[in-house]
Amino acid sequence: MSTRVASQVGPKLGRKQIFLPNFTLTLLRTPTQPATFASFIVPLNLNKLDLRDYLWNAYGISVRGVRSYIQQQKVRQDKPGAKRPKPRKWYRPRAIKKMMVEMEKPFVWPAVPESFEDWDKSTFDAAAEGRKEEESVYRWDARMQANKERGSIAEQAKALQSGEDSWKQTPVRDEWEDVGEAVEVEQDVQVPPVQR
Amino acid sequence: MSTSTALRPAVRSILRSSRSNQLPPAFLLPSLFAPKQQCSPFSTSTLNSYPRDNNRERGVSTQRRTGLRQPVSVSKTPLPQPVLDESKRSKVEVDPDHGLYQFFHSKEKPMNTPDEDSDHGRPWCVEELRHKSWEDLHALWWVSAKERNRIATETYERKRIEAGYGDYESEKRDVTVRRTQRAIKQVLTERYYSWRDAENVAKSDPEINLSGKGPIYTPTDFIEDEITQHEAEPSAEPAPKSEAKPEQISTPSA
Repeated sequence: MSTRVASQVGPKLGRKQIFLPNFTLTLLRTPTQPATFASFIVPLNLNKLDLRDYLWNAYGISVRGVRSYIQQQKVRQDKPGAKRPKPRKWYRPRAIKKMMVEMEKPFVWPAVPESFEDWDKSTFDAAAEGRKEEESVYRWDARMQANKERGSIAEQAKALQSGEDSWKQTPVRDEWEDVGEAVEVEQDVQVPPVQR
Repeated sequence: MSTSTALRPAVRSILRSSRSNQLPPAFLLPSLFAPKQQCSPFSTSTLNSYPRDNNRERGVSTQRRTGLRQPVSVSKTPLPQPVLDESKRSKVEVDPDHGLYQFFHSKEKPMNTPDEDSDHGRPWCVEELRHKSWEDLHALWWVSAKERNRIATETYERKRIEAGYGDYESEKRDVTVRRTQRAIKQVLTERYYSWRDAENVAKSDPEINLSGKGPIYTPTDFIEDEITQHEAEPSAEPAPKSEAKPEQISTPSA
C-alpha cells in the first residue's frame, strides 16, 4: 500500500540513472494549445519515457501524457553554410523531433515585450533590408527587374519632352587641366646614381 | 404539423379554386368547419402530402448549412461565441513556482536582452574544479544543463518573434556554459585514470588487502606515538577545524 501511495506522488518513473545528461530541451510557445500542454524540441534519441522522467526529476513537473512526432525537413540544394550552393548537390537537414506533454498544472508563457528597443530592432531590421537589397543584385533575374532609377529617368524624359528642361551635356574631362607650373615634390630625396 | 391531414386537401382545393375564381358549392361549406376527425399529433398513417419518401432527413444538409427542420431541446441555448480579442479572455492562474518557469531567466519577459545575456563571467576552469567533490561537480553540471535549456528556449523565441539582436551574446553565453561542462568532464576523467592507476599500485602493495576479507589497509610500520606530558597539556589555542567548510555551489556563468 505504501508503495502505491509513493508512486502516486509523481508519475511512474524509470529506474535507470543518468548522471550527466548532455542535451538541451527547447520549450516552444504554443498559444493555440490549452495551458496544461507544453511542447518541446528534443533530441532525436529521446523517447517519451525519458522526457517524462527528465521533467519530473529536473523540473518537478508532473506529466500526465506525452505525444511525440518527428518533422521531416525539406530537401534543399547543398548545405546551409555553403556560399554558392552547388546545383544538384542535394542535402536534407536533420529531422526535428517535437514532444507535447500534458501537465497537471497549467502554464502560460511570459508576455511578449511591447517594445524591442533593448534588442535594437530598428537597426536589425534596417540591416536585414539592406542585405536583401544587396543580394538582389546577384539574383539571376536581376536584369529583368525594374531598377530603382526607372521612375526618375521617366520623369526627366517627360520634362525634356515638354520643354521644361533642356538637354545639358555632361562636360567631358579628357584633357589635362592647367594648374600652373610643374612643382618638384620630392626635393629632399637623394636618388643614388645607377651603378653600371 | 400545424394543420391536420384531414383539413389539408380541403384547403388546397379552396386555394386552387380561388385561383380560378371557382367557389365551392354552398352545401360543402359545413364540411370545411367540421370538427377535426383526428387530433392526435402522432399518426402511423402515411402522409400523402409529404414529398417523395419518408426520409425525415430530406433537405437537411450540413454542406448547405440548412439547419434542422424542427427546433431541438438545445435550440434555446445560444451558441458560445469565440473571444477573438486575446486581452478579453479569462486569465489562467499559473502557479508562481511552476517548473516551466525554470526555462526562462525571468518571469516578466520571454527572453533576456543582449546586455543581460552578456553579463556573465568566465567559465570554471579545470584547476578550480579539481578541488571539488563529486556532489559539487554533479550539481554544477545540472546548473549548466538547465542554463543551456534556458538559452536554447530564449534563442528560439527571439528568432520566432524577430526581436532583433542578441544571437551573438547568447551564443557566447552558451559557449561559456559548455566550457564549464567540458572542464567537469576533464576533471572526472582525470579522477578515473588516477583511481585506476592507484588500483594497479595497490595490487602489488603488501599493506593493502583487496581480497575483500579483513581490513583493506594494514600499515606495517605504524608506531604509536608515546604521549608525552608536554603534549598532553591542553593547549590554549583552539584546535583547527578538521573539516573544511563545504564550498558554495555556484557557477560564475550564471
